[in-house]
Amino acid sequence: MHLVAEVLDEQIVDNKGRRAGRVDGIVLELRDGKPPRVAYIEVGPITLLARFNRRLARWYARWDERFGEGRGVPFRIPWTRVTRDRDACRLDMDADATPIFALEDWLRRHIVEHLPGA
Amino acid sequence: MKKVLQITLGIVTSVGGFLEIGSITTAAQAGASFGYQLVWAIVVGTICIAFLVEMAGRFAAVSKRTIPDAMRERFGINFFAVPLVVMFAVSLLVLAAEMGGIAAALEMATGISLPVWAIPVGLVAWGLLWRATFSVIENGVSFLGLVTIAFAVGAARLHPDYGAVLRGMAPTLPRSNATHYWFVAVSVLGASISPYLYYFYSSGAIEEKWDVTYLAANRLIAGIGMSFGGFLSVAVLVLAAILFHPRGVDVQHYQQLPGLLTPIFGRAGFWLVIASLGVACLGATLEIALAIAYLIAQGLGWNWGEDLEPRDDARFALTYTLLVAAAALFVLAGVDPLELTQISMSLTAASLPVGVFPFLILMNDKKYLGGHTNGYAGNAVVLVISLLAAVLGVVSIPLEIVGG
Repeated sequence: MHLVAEVLDEQIVDNKGRRAGRVDGIVLELRDGKPPRVAYIEVGPITLLARFNRRLARWYARWDERFGEGRGVPFRIPWTRVTRDRDACRLDMDADATPIFALEDWLRRHIVEHLPGA
Repeated sequence: MKKVLQITLGIVTSVGGFLEIGSITTAAQAGASFGYQLVWAIVVGTICIAFLVEMAGRFAAVSKRTIPDAMRERFGINFFAVPLVVMFAVSLLVLAAEMGGIAAALEMATGISLPVWAIPVGLVAWGLLWRATFSVIENGVSFLGLVTIAFAVGAARLHPDYGAVLRGMAPTLPRSNATHYWFVAVSVLGASISPYLYYFYSSGAIEEKWDVTYLAANRLIAGIGMSFGGFLSVAVLVLAAILFHPRGVDVQHYQQLPGLLTPIFGRAGFWLVIASLGVACLGATLEIALAIAYLIAQGLGWNWGEDLEPRDDARFALTYTLLVAAAALFVLAGVDPLELTQISMSLTAASLPVGVFPFLILMNDKKYLGGHTNGYAGNAVVLVISLLAAVLGVVSIPLEIVGG
């Protein structure tokens, strides 16, 4: 498996078939005397911004931290809960139970549902 | 039978959706300033966009991916950020120009000045995006866009010198005013080869769940639809060449546009131009707002879809909402839609390779297209024309600005 070509930046789809972000980062686990293995994938703006500029990512993380517990750090999904097919990385979980849709939910509850016709 | 209907519908919508403020004004300017000499720019631009649209449809049907989707996946975020930012910026200017076009049509129809229309136009466009499904937007507005056929009828009524029109199809060097000639040529190319058009088309193919059985239909829609669209642009150029050029009239104000049809149809001609401009720009407004929102949503992996309710893709829906609001500010500020069109069309041409080159790499990738990758001809045509447009753009834009 070629991680950068085949996993990084892939579309993520949750178990309800919804598009749930992209693989913004990959976390490898280094093991003594054994080859490293993929431990997690990371999703979200903090990881994405870090690929351009670490300072930008830190700045965003500080802002994100205010929104509650578990925020302000990159969101990680264990590699064991991901299966890959031709089109996407599929999660065996509902993305609603993760911070992936946090902004989406916030926008829906605070803005979209207050606009006419929604 | 269903396929035949779909192909007809596809062709009709591409014809109805081809003209917008960019192609109408740049073609009118080309005809007014240079007679039939710049017909080639429309022909070259139309050939290029026909190839690009065919590729975009083929890519989506075979790989089940939109263009931004695959670009992010194939090249990574650091590279993808470049076309994302460039196309976002240029398309936003085009969006503002199109909304200005609707406002200009309303101003000419009512006498109420253009900036007053910014908010009503923004609200109507937003309301349609918010409530309507993809097919309503694509088919409904494009059907109304068939009113632009009036330009072809008008041009035929004037009995143009068809030999001279044909001769204009061969690119020639300027006989006078070289800087302006190349600048108008670049604007015409930018107006014809709008990146939003093929990006929108690839998302449309995914929204409508195309597969490989659509490849033949796709080829017909792209080829015939775009040719007829280009034909309408040529009609506008011919009208301006006959009615404006001999009198030395340059197209510098949108108020001059009704003069393309009033000498032929009288008062009805005035309303035909107003309707064409208004409807065509409304269609383009909706498509561009969606195209930019698609670009961002797909690049970042958000849930997206014009057929979803806004509550199911809040980020996507709010993105086009903000885009329409931002573009409306240009109109509200009283920016002249014609100047904005010229600037945005020439910038479109100058920045073409930024979107086109990575797309060509995707079109030659067997991982996405299997046995349906590009042939030599398609690659060569699109590569040469987009490079030509970019080089001409980069050279002529500064010269035009310096020369006023």
